[in-house]
Formats: sequence, C-alpha cells, structure tokens
Amino acid sequence: MGTVEYIQHHLTNNTIGEGFWTFNMDTIVISFLLGALIVLTAARMGKSLQAGTPGGFQNFVESILDFVSTNVRDAFPGHNPLIAPLALTIFIWVWLMNFMDLIPVDLIPYLYQLVTGDSHAYLKIVPTTDLNTTLAMAFTVFALIMYYNVKIKGLGGFIKMFLFHPFGKFLVPVNIVMTLIEEVSKPLSLALRLFGNMFAGELVFLLIALIGGTLAVGAAALFWAPLQVLLDLGWLIFHLLVITLQAFIFMVLTIVYLGMAHDEGH
Amino acid sequence: MSDSNLDPKNNSNSAEPKPALNFLLLSAGSIFTSMIVAGFLVGYALDQLFDTTPIFLLGCALLGFIGGIQKVHKLTSRMDMVPQERKDDQKS
Repeated sequence: MGTVEYIQHHLTNNTIGEGFWTFNMDTIVISFLLGALIVLTAARMGKSLQAGTPGGFQNFVESILDFVSTNVRDAFPGHNPLIAPLALTIFIWVWLMNFMDLIPVDLIPYLYQLVTGDSHAYLKIVPTTDLNTTLAMAFTVFALIMYYNVKIKGLGGFIKMFLFHPFGKFLVPVNIVMTLIEEVSKPLSLALRLFGNMFAGELVFLLIALIGGTLAVGAAALFWAPLQVLLDLGWLIFHLLVITLQAFIFMVLTIVYLGMAHDEGH
Repeated sequence: MSDSNLDPKNNSNSAEPKPALNFLLLSAGSIFTSMIVAGFLVGYALDQLFDTTPIFLLGCALLGFIGGIQKVHKLTSRMDMVPQERKDDQKS
C-alpha cells in the first residue's frame, strides 16, 4: 500500500447507506461506547461514594467536578441547574473521544481487520476527527442557546436583538443579516475548531507512523524505527495537552455562549 | 454574540472582566474565520431564497468579514483592561 492510500484508508469512515443517509458506523458506535463508559463509571462511582476518606479514583473525579464547577461559576452569570452537568458531560465526553487519537493509529483498525477477515475494512476510531460529530454537538449547543435566548429575553427581546444590533436602528436590514451571520458563526467556530485540531493531530500521527512503515527497509530500520518512536512520543505528549485544551475550550465556550443567552442586558 | 459582555466599557455585571471570557481570546482566529464562512452560508441561503445569485453571497461575505474584524477587535481590546489591584501593583 502506498503512502497516499495508507493515509486515505485511515481517514475513511466505515459507512452504511449512501447519499444523504450515509451513517458513519465507526463514529456512532465508538462515541456511543464512550458515552456508555461515562454513564457506567458514574453509576458505579455513585454507589460506592465515601464521605470520610475517599479513595484515589473518587478524589480524581472530585477534582474534575471542582474544576468544572469553578469554571461554570466564573463564566456563567445567574443560576441554571442544567449548565454544570452539561459542561461536565461535554468536557469528559469530548476528552474521551479525543483520547482515542492517542491509541496507536494502526492497532484497532488492524484488530478490526483481523476480526472481520476483510483486509480492506475501514475503521476510523477518533469520533472527533469526523465533522459530523463536532457539528452535531455544536448544533445541540446552538439549539440550547436559541432556546434560552427566547426564554430569557422573550420573543420580543429576541427579535429586538436581531433588529437593532450591532449598528443601531437606522440600519435594520443590515443588522438582521449581521446578527444572523454572528449566530450562525457560533456553532461553526465551535465545530470547526475541534474538528480541525483533531484531524490535524491524527494526520501527524499517520505521517509519523509512515516513517517506520515505508522507509524502514532492511538495515535502515535501525535508524528509522527509533526516530519514529522518538517523534511519536514527543507528539503524543504534546497532543495530550491539545486534546485536554480542546475539550476544555469546547466546554468553556459552551458556558460562555449560554451565559450570553442568559444575559438580559443585551 | 452579546457584546455587552465583551465591551470593556459596558462590563456592568462585575468590576473585573470575567476570567473565563479570556478563553474566547484563544479562539479569536477561528471566530474570525467562521464569521466569514457563516457570511458565505447565509448569503448563499438568501440567494437561493430570492434567486439573486451572487449579490447576497458577496454582500454577506463582506458583512461577515467586517463583523469578524469588529469582533476580534472587541475581544483583543479586553487585553487592555487590567484589574484594579494589578494596576496598583504596577504603580508601586
């Protein structure tokens, strides 16, 4: 398999259906499994809570909870019981989906090919390198933003936001288009940022994997294989920072955008 | 986006800028880009609606560009706001 085919093969989803109704099964199944992992872990955790001397894992979970609730308190004006659980879900779920990037790129696709017996089976294991995942999450957040905009400001206030912002009352048609563009750009920037960062990260991992894969022929492997290990380790450590940062930014921006929807003074 | 939170002169909720809002700065680049993309999208939709290709497409892209610059400018001008105690620190 050539270099181009290798990369294309890794960046193609395992799909069912065609046209508009194409389902990326690997994205759906893996993101669902990771969601189930969160639910199960939380359920088990909830049963074995200790008030006095919590164990190591409970401490870890509590520190994440503390971290998220501090951020919600900093960024969110007023009170809404939905925001903190939503932020926590987004943070952990996005982080876990991003974390799939750190599993060796060939490992799970190879195992999948062994299990199915099809040596050309596609499998893309990082759900956030699929624009469908990130856009779906961004649109969910967008729907919540719209809901709270109407709920808090009232329908009149919501329409007023479209009419008189940002250029005042003399440029109403321009204001409508401008506000429309601003609102559409929110989910777009949320989705594209996460997708772009994860896709680029995955691509770098693939390129590093190619060093050992295509260049290491015979004795040359003695040179290329250690180089690949070194580069992989470096990028892995850096990428660990990136996936955390991206999950964190997605969470914080969700809180900030929802906070703006709650801001009546607009 | 509600600009009352971003506008340095209009930060009525608290005396200091909210720390979490600073994370919007991290995404200033992608906000700018997505404003232009959103401009194209809205323009394309309006063109399909009124059958006026490419007037709205170009007009909205321009508006998105202007809005993007305006927004990034507002975001970065938050950097000029220094909380009161830090200002005192700098004087002494």
